[in-house]
Amino acid sequence: MQLSFNRRITLVWSLLCILTITSWLLASARGHREFSPSTGVTIGILVAVVVKSRLIIQQFMEVRAAPNWLRHVTDGWLALLVASILALYLW
Amino acid sequence: MWLFVLGDLFIFLAYFVIFMIYRRWDPTLFLGSERHLDLAIGAINTLVLLTSSCLVALGVGAARRAQLQRAARFVQGAIACGALFLALKAFEWVRLAHDGYTFTHNNFFMFFFALTGVHAFHILMGFIVLAVVRRELRTDHFREHVVVAGAVYWHMVDLIWVVLFALLYVMR
Amino acid sequence: MTAAPDRTGKRDLWICWWTAPVFYLLFGLIFVLLTRVMPPPRPSMSTAQIGAFFAEHRTTIQIGFALLIVVIAGSAVLSGLVAYQMKRMSVQPVFAYGYIATLAVGAVPGCLLCAISFLTATFRPDRDPHQIAMLYDVALLSFVGSLGCFAAQYLILAIAILLDKNKIFPTWFAYVSIWQIVTELLAAPVFIFKHGPFAWNGAIAFYEGTLLFGVYISCFIPLLRKAIQQQPSERLPA
Repeated sequence: MQLSFNRRITLVWSLLCILTITSWLLASARGHREFSPSTGVTIGILVAVVVKSRLIIQQFMEVRAAPNWLRHVTDGWLALLVASILALYLW
Repeated sequence: MWLFVLGDLFIFLAYFVIFMIYRRWDPTLFLGSERHLDLAIGAINTLVLLTSSCLVALGVGAARRAQLQRAARFVQGAIACGALFLALKAFEWVRLAHDGYTFTHNNFFMFFFALTGVHAFHILMGFIVLAVVRRELRTDHFREHVVVAGAVYWHMVDLIWVVLFALLYVMR
Repeated sequence: MTAAPDRTGKRDLWICWWTAPVFYLLFGLIFVLLTRVMPPPRPSMSTAQIGAFFAEHRTTIQIGFALLIVVIAGSAVLSGLVAYQMKRMSVQPVFAYGYIATLAVGAVPGCLLCAISFLTATFRPDRDPHQIAMLYDVALLSFVGSLGCFAAQYLILAIAILLDKNKIFPTWFAYVSIWQIVTELLAAPVFIFKHGPFAWNGAIAFYEGTLLFGVYISCFIPLLRKAIQQQPSERLPA
């Protein structure tokens, strides 16, 4: 499916918004347990962060069309980020 | 510009990791403090910034198709979103301070104000960057690389906020 | 207006350039090995601990900082050299003058205040411990906290480089300069915290800031060298 540039950008934006609202709901819809620790919620929002970040990097920043080294470095950054956060959260 | 963006991303990565280390030392304090943040403002601000990024991306697309006036209007829209973001942030800060949650209240708020503060500084720099882009779009022979560089910077600011939103507002 | 003096050859510029690596090497030696200011001792030390710190390092502190005061002129020569290169830029020389001025302002709190305070603290070991502790605070707060003075310098340099059509320095270096501003801002809280990442020995206020400054200087010294090498000998600015 070949999307026009504008269509693609707008679609990405919609996805980003949906993921944001999902994180918002995930974090807030637990009633009186809203602020008790939850690995499930945290992993959920981290997944959202990975998807959102990669969308911004690849689509908005156009890294999808960039030289290999840039793709690797940005993916590496994201991997390092989420790995560190997850590691520090879980241990 | 990519040098700056990559460097900034790694610099912020260090801040994020340091934040998580301190969080690990006192998770109850951090989680309890999150309660005092206005999740709605945080989420709305995220949506505002994502929209601004979308507008910038559309602007770059328009510039490439030589629709310079349209492109400039997109960039203008992005700047307006950025201003809205800062206004909401200022409102949020003032309300927090008014309720007694200041920079020195506890470790969580120390990080909260420092990180959102540095991010806000990046938005201010972003206004200058986007203004340069907009001016470029008004010249006869605009240089695409200037427009793209400015766009990449703005997307970086958005990207950093996406992570900040996760770490400060919704992490449980 | 008098005619520009007849200047040829760049030997004097090279002499000036050499002050840069020599000065920073000495700076590192002094602050890290001799005076123990880098990395800084903790702000949360008790008065007794502070007294013990000075007693333990008295001799090397005195040697180190006395030496610093003698060689501090090196940084002045370096900023003169940078300003001279900035005059080759297509932007107005006001940037060069601004650069010199901000560094002149910054040198006192930036390292001299620390040096004099430490030297005073070690001068009379039998001084009241609370006075010694105060000198300790003045020294380290000024050393780490004065970073803000330099924010203006980095801004001037960054703007000059970005606007310069003669490309005396590469554009990416302007961005490195801008990073310094960000780290300066994050060093501002040292006046509040006695521990944590924003204290004067903190991960963010000190370590990350110093690391990035190391990057900055490591780039700056070779870039200055290149700028001098590329400078046409026949037409030197007045």
